[in-house]
Amino acid sequence: MRLRIRRFISQLVLSPSLALVAVFLYGFIGWTVAVSTTASKASPRFDRFVGLEQYVRLFDTPRWNVAFSNMFLFGFLFLVVTIGFGLLIAVLIDQRIRFEGVFRSIVMYPMAMSFVVTGVVWQWLLSPTLGIQSLVAGWGFTGFHIDWLTNPSTVIWALVVAAFWQGCGLAMALFLAGLRGIDEDIWKAAAVDGIPAWRVYLHIVVPMLAPVFLTVIVLQSLAIVRAFDLVVALTNGGPGVSSDLPSVFMFDMAFRRANLGLSAASAVVMLGTVLAILVPYLYVESRERR
Amino acid sequence: MIDIRVVDCHKSYGQVRILRDISLDIERGEFIVLLGPSGCGKSTLLHIIAGLEPLTSGSIEIGGRDVTDLEPKDRDIAMVFQSYALYPTMSVRANMEFGLRMRGRPLAEIRAVVEEKAKMLGIDHLLDRRPSQLSGGQRQRVAIGRAVVREPRVFLFDEPLSNLDAKLRGSMRTEIKKLHRRLGTTVIYVTHDQLEAMTLATRLVVMKAGVMQQVGTPDEVYHRPLNRFTADFLGSPGMNFLDAVLRLAEGRVWAEVGRTVIPLDRYAFIERPVDGRPVVLGLRPDSIRPADGAEAAFTLDLKATLIEHTGSENHVVFDLDGREVTGKFPAEFGLEVGRTLPVAFDLARLSLFDTETELRI
Ligand SMILES: Nc1ncnc2c1ncn2[C@@H]1O[C@H](COP(=O)(O)OP(=O)(O)O)[C@@H](O)[C@H]1O
Ligand SMILES: [Mg+2]
Repeated sequence: MRLRIRRFISQLVLSPSLALVAVFLYGFIGWTVAVSTTASKASPRFDRFVGLEQYVRLFDTPRWNVAFSNMFLFGFLFLVVTIGFGLLIAVLIDQRIRFEGVFRSIVMYPMAMSFVVTGVVWQWLLSPTLGIQSLVAGWGFTGFHIDWLTNPSTVIWALVVAAFWQGCGLAMALFLAGLRGIDEDIWKAAAVDGIPAWRVYLHIVVPMLAPVFLTVIVLQSLAIVRAFDLVVALTNGGPGVSSDLPSVFMFDMAFRRANLGLSAASAVVMLGTVLAILVPYLYVESRERR
Repeated sequence: MIDIRVVDCHKSYGQVRILRDISLDIERGEFIVLLGPSGCGKSTLLHIIAGLEPLTSGSIEIGGRDVTDLEPKDRDIAMVFQSYALYPTMSVRANMEFGLRMRGRPLAEIRAVVEEKAKMLGIDHLLDRRPSQLSGGQRQRVAIGRAVVREPRVFLFDEPLSNLDAKLRGSMRTEIKKLHRRLGTTVIYVTHDQLEAMTLATRLVVMKAGVMQQVGTPDEVYHRPLNRFTADFLGSPGMNFLDAVLRLAEGRVWAEVGRTVIPLDRYAFIERPVDGRPVVLGLRPDSIRPADGAEAAFTLDLKATLIEHTGSENHVVFDLDGREVTGKFPAEFGLEVGRTLPVAFDLARLSLFDTETELRI
């Protein structure tokens, strides 16, 4: 009886937030899906149903295709770089170095900053007249050029470099926690077996971190799909549309180009991408729990 | 031939002294058990011998070589850990092969050794499985297998059975004993389980708070404990301790326990007995049995106050002048609480300790 009352109370307390989630999350997802099947322009209009036409239009829009493929390119580079460096730094810190706290803070600190700040800082650093280029030129190396922000084929690297500072800390923290969670006895057994440390990492410890890799990949991928502020602050999609990402495209279509229908379709495609990442992950996770 | 020599070994972590003045000579083929309560430094000593922990002072020799500054891999040892410490991402076969590969042995040779040892341990059908697909007992076998394939001079075991259930522990204990008999390799085995220690050891090292208390065969340590701690740590139910006073009379030595007087003619004193000296008299429950009348044993009429049935035998608590003493009686011996009956004491198995120093006298 007590138990039933307790359950009732907990349900009662949770229900407002559940209702809010239902309306503002799932309700609006449904609303967006609905809008994406209409020819809405500046404001939503449900009287002009067009089926999947907006999706066909979307993938016929060159700017969207640039943004969509940028997401995969940026995502791939970002994952490789953050996982590589994050793991490397975690392994170095795992050597029980002195001043571990200092190093950890240095790597983790950028995580606390807004992407807007990061974007602006890197805009300065990469600017030919203010940043690294003018500094190096000041040392006398006048031939030195960084034109990442102005060259459409390399601007994606500017995004990766700027985002790296934030993604790296998260990856490092997760990997370090994973490394610290490994049974000391495994290291001792390997020492008795005479296995050099790099081989222990390569053959035993890193494979043991497989679940951590999965978590890092999923978290970073979600961050990439959602990435918006960094692009706006650093390149604003330029030069041209060469550094556009889907979120920037969506924002532009909805609030500047008065094309709600197309914007909603792009939002649904982004949601689909997120689900394509999350669903397999949750499936694997729940299977491992059992 | 001396296989392992631990000389004046000390170990401190910062200000905390973990091991003091450990010296031990181990003969080839011995099965040495380090026994003591949790936290007394057994694992630390084992890790020092393995080279996994540096020592603060002292030295370690293995096979006549000073190995104090050598890496674990160069000490010709293999170790089995309490948590098994199998490499979880590798198959059983890879687990057993890895150490040999690191030593650059030819692959064909490695394969043959691994197959042979796996067969010996009854894990040859598990070779292609992952550790996570094995039961606790099987994992333990694999851990032993990984140690055995290296054919080291010394095996080190750190509480290898403490994660197994009681039944499996019993059978693995027997197997480890058989394995030792077959291989004849020197073993150092850490445990806090006195039953494991008594059944496995050829020699026992009892430790307390980083200090060796007694080294001897299980029989010696059990029947002639050198101090009260050792006496108390071994045996279940524990030894009976009675406060007593020594009496010298008629050219004989007696112990006075309350109003009861116990003759000590058969006790081998280390120190000359002094009249009036307060002592602690220790008697194992095994030495307190029903009197069968025929023997010329020392008997007392005592009242049973509590009976514990264990199945194979009963533990009976008697009242001896207001003190409790526990005896082991056969299960078939009919007895009820409150009855007074003649009880025989095997005084040859008695121990006397100083009340202050708690050392055997
Ligand atoms: N790395 C360490 N730093 C400080 N104290 C330690 C360390 N390792 C072990 N100790 C201490 O040393 C004592 C002995 O530990 P251990 O050898 O593991 O005991 P046992 O194996 O007998 O249970 C314990 O009191 C433990 O707290
Ligand atoms: Mg231990």
